[in-house]
Amino acid sequence: MSGDADAVDLTDAPAVLPAVLPGELGEVPAARDIRRYTTQAANARGGASLGSLLASVYYAVITIAIASGMALGFAQALRVSLPPTPEADAAVDLSLPTLVVVMLLGLVGILVSLAGRLGPVGAGGAEAAWWLVLPVDRRGLLRPAARRLPLVAAFVAAILVGLLDAGLLADSGARVLHVAVTSALVAAGIVLLAALAQSRGLRRSTTALVGDLILAAAPVVAVALALTDWSVDEVPTLPWFGAVAAALLVAGAGVLVDRRLGRIPTASLRESGSVATQAVGAAVSLDSRELGRALTDGAAAPTRRRLSRLRTARGPATALVTADLVVLRRSARHLVQLAIAAIVPVLVTVVPELASQAGVLFAVLLAGYVAMSATGEGARRAQMAPILDRLLPLDAKTVRRLRMVVPGIAMLVWSVVAFGAVGRWTGDVAGWLVLGVASTPVWAAAAVRSSYRPAPDWGGALVSTPMGALPTGVAAVLARGPDVVVLGLLPVWIAVLLRHVSPTMILIQAGLSAIAVTVASSIATGSLMERMLASQEEMDKQRKANR
Amino acid sequence: MSKPTVRAQDLLVGYGGAPVCAPVSFTLAPGKAVALVGANGSGKSTVLRAVIGLLEPTSGSLRVLGEPVDEREVAFRAQVASVLDDDAYFPALTVHEHLYLTARGHGVLGADALVRELLEEFGLAEHARSLPVALSSGQRRRLLLAAGFVRPRSLLVLDEPEQRLDRAMRDRLAARLVEEKKAGGAVLMATHDPDLVLAVADRAVHVADDVTRLLSPAEAATLISRENP
Repeated sequence: MSGDADAVDLTDAPAVLPAVLPGELGEVPAARDIRRYTTQAANARGGASLGSLLASVYYAVITIAIASGMALGFAQALRVSLPPTPEADAAVDLSLPTLVVVMLLGLVGILVSLAGRLGPVGAGGAEAAWWLVLPVDRRGLLRPAARRLPLVAAFVAAILVGLLDAGLLADSGARVLHVAVTSALVAAGIVLLAALAQSRGLRRSTTALVGDLILAAAPVVAVALALTDWSVDEVPTLPWFGAVAAALLVAGAGVLVDRRLGRIPTASLRESGSVATQAVGAAVSLDSRELGRALTDGAAAPTRRRLSRLRTARGPATALVTADLVVLRRSARHLVQLAIAAIVPVLVTVVPELASQAGVLFAVLLAGYVAMSATGEGARRAQMAPILDRLLPLDAKTVRRLRMVVPGIAMLVWSVVAFGAVGRWTGDVAGWLVLGVASTPVWAAAAVRSSYRPAPDWGGALVSTPMGALPTGVAAVLARGPDVVVLGLLPVWIAVLLRHVSPTMILIQAGLSAIAVTVASSIATGSLMERMLASQEEMDKQRKANR
Repeated sequence: MSKPTVRAQDLLVGYGGAPVCAPVSFTLAPGKAVALVGANGSGKSTVLRAVIGLLEPTSGSLRVLGEPVDEREVAFRAQVASVLDDDAYFPALTVHEHLYLTARGHGVLGADALVRELLEEFGLAEHARSLPVALSSGQRRRLLLAAGFVRPRSLLVLDEPEQRLDRAMRDRLAARLVEEKKAGGAVLMATHDPDLVLAVADRAVHVADDVTRLLSPAEAATLISRENP
């Protein structure tokens, strides 16, 4: 560690010379020397060579390219399957480009919310404990972390919005590039603004709340636009000279953030770093529950102004249900998620280009899954720390059944809105509402089944794919929950494709709902196949013993 | 007369505006030690977090080395050392390298020899080349304590330093803290160890919900023994 121009020389400041000196003091190293020392030691032990680095970059690029190509193909296939001319004969409608703009507004909300929850500038556990206490220029320590998030946001935004534009709107290559560049600049600018707010002492939870509010406003804006018959013909972009000006502004914001990095309090850096570390770990291990916990807890208030009186808790069963209800009520993010998911099918049925069987099916499946995920917060928390479950005199199966109550109620509300919209689209509101009510237990069962799934199993067999090895054990675990949605709602999917609900479908749906509840109440671990094999082995053993 | 290292006047600390204990007032002079005592969850660690700048006080006045607390200032970090219960380490750095990084990061010359001395003193010499993952809980605790002593400081803040240490190590730590005072350093610690209070502290502050009281080391030791029979 050699000193340089950035170094802080304590020997030049006798007024602040510490009382206890363990040895002679010299020049304090520059921040980049501290970083370099740590990185070099890590590289020396991690066996990271240039070759392995290049291989990692190669796989990352290939994976992103293939994933983008697949997503583009899917979006274009969806676009082709959608009607070119308005199919729905409705007084209230919304153009496809307008809907895409509303989706972009929602993405802006998600980005602001994520930036607030992740910091955006942070220092993880070891960096916070061993770097931030040093009397070196903190800007040098934090600079790489501060640059990473705006760059990642710009990259992801360019790909995501580019795919939306190319896939759904089928724009020309030059225009897609234009939209992607504008999106990248906007995304980077948003993250840098969040970083500036962080350096000025704005609470991370406030930034996250602003993001949640923008996200919540998106469907409201969409409904307002549909009602007022206001629409756009294409996704707005900056003219090229405007993009250059925006790039300069973003660069300026980057310089401002860099200058203020040293003013971010350690407490804020520690909290952000902790959330980011937890979130990245969850994302890498494909653990969506842990990711949700990281993002929710990261912006949660440490205290509550009002205590819940828990009036409905009159026994063990009602106490459990009440606790789940309080958890859901206190999570603004999940309530917003639920509200948006309810409006998505409504919007899809009023956009002429989307209001086809394929579009509505996709909307109900996706929005229902997102809504269902929001309702299982109580079960997810209990799976991680079953404190209440252990205190109450309830057996495990009963606990799981009771945990379906709150998701069931929430999904009933969602179903009334979503299936009502589908019913309006097909002209049979009553029939679709009955089907929606009959399907509600399946959503609740899926919420509980996915909440209580085991940790991803990375020890399972690997299947080779063009994008690399696919761990089947992980896929099997992640399928718990979605499997119930796909199979348990077959009558709903068939009804959407036929645009017709029959009493038989409703009866079958009710039967499947009962089966789904039974499956989700099961406390057996392992897949169905594993359990069948274990049962077979047990029977063989018994047969041999009997002989 | 030298200015106090820490001066807390009606200091109220807490989370989300809700205080965790009654207001705290105390003064810590250079070459002296103050022990914060009280039941688990009484707010001792929260007070310490305010002193080292990890938590904004709810109200009251708090000055460290004559200035309002601002850990973003380089001068503050150069003078205030803290050993909290942070169990976080660089997974690829050895025990020796963690201490070397800390010493050199503070501009200490001859850091290598100093680190070897401290490793010997804290019973970590055999683990100098070990990665943190290979250490026991007690060894990791000793590594954190050694990091507090490997760097220059005017104020040493310790949160329950006796945790996960055996009797012999606790005695050695007490002797180290007495030397710290003799060298002119100030020590502020939260502790449940009556022997450590008697050996090191000049005053004690009983942190509690209703009222905080200044105690003599003997009174504090008795109180701890009564609370932890």
